[in-house]
Amino acid sequence: MTADRLNEDRFDRMLAQALQRHSEPTPADFTERMITAFKQAEQQRILAGVVLQQRLALAATILLGAVTIIAVVFFPTAVAGGFRTVAEAVGQQAGMWIDRIPQAVETVRSQWQFYAFLAAVFGFAVYSLVDLLLGDRLRIA
Amino acid sequence: MTFLVNKVWEKRQMAHWLRLLRSGDHQAFEWFIDKYKETVFLCCRQMGLREDEIEDVASDTFLAAYKGLSRYTGQSDLSTWLWSIAYHKAVSYLRKNRKHWQLEDQVDEQIVDSRQQEPASSIQSEETEKIVWEAVKRLPRLWAITVILHYREQKCVADIAKIMDTRENTVKTYLFRARARLKELLAAAFGADDDGR
Repeated sequence: MTADRLNEDRFDRMLAQALQRHSEPTPADFTERMITAFKQAEQQRILAGVVLQQRLALAATILLGAVTIIAVVFFPTAVAGGFRTVAEAVGQQAGMWIDRIPQAVETVRSQWQFYAFLAAVFGFAVYSLVDLLLGDRLRIA
Repeated sequence: MTFLVNKVWEKRQMAHWLRLLRSGDHQAFEWFIDKYKETVFLCCRQMGLREDEIEDVASDTFLAAYKGLSRYTGQSDLSTWLWSIAYHKAVSYLRKNRKHWQLEDQVDEQIVDSRQQEPASSIQSEETEKIVWEAVKRLPRLWAITVILHYREQKCVADIAKIMDTRENTVKTYLFRARARLKELLAAAFGADDDGR
């Protein structure tokens, strides 16, 4: 190794050591302020999402209303026909379900033990849910 | 062997912190800011921002990093990625707020006054550090940033080129010229006898 090279290395080492030892002054409460800014940015992001959701819902409501009005004004026969078909289909289905009620009552009467067990399980589930959601508040009261 | 073990440990720790950072953990952000705030402030100061502007740009840098963490692929070191954000934030701030601002400035011909700053008796001394910093501050800002990234942050030429968005040859030229200039400045500061230390 030549003397020049040795000097170069020493120079580099001296430079690196001096620069690495240096500590740059920063405001003492910078970290806390940044964390607060992060939290605010997070809240704004969530808020922006909610606002966007509401705007979309509003736009959809307006659009649906407008489409319905246009359809009723310009195609009254088709709309009436469509609604009649839907009403008939719903009526038929409802009739079928109503017809089944006596049969269901008969089944319940013959297997009441099973349904009693199911009711107990359902009751426990409701109790657990109430305890989960309101338990602390009720216990404190 | 110890060096390798330390490297692996460091890498694992970093991966752990990165996972926490991406999940939005506030403690992880506290660690992140504490670890890198000096670096970001140093970059802003070295780029020539005023004291009242530095904090704004540093905050912008950390907020941009916070928002961009999901896009950080981990290909480059976290500090390299943050340096790049800080550097570009500082450049765009200066471009927007300073008339006639240019990225490449002139060499400051004024040398460190050796009569005011006594030669240090040891390379470990605080005086040496002060004199070296004074000399680095007198370099054109791009040379100074290159020197800091190379000697302080231990970044390779490729990483520096990535941070400064320039060619590797340009970085090598900056480094070469900065070293030569620093030698002149430090020789004047330390006195002819200590030349090349």
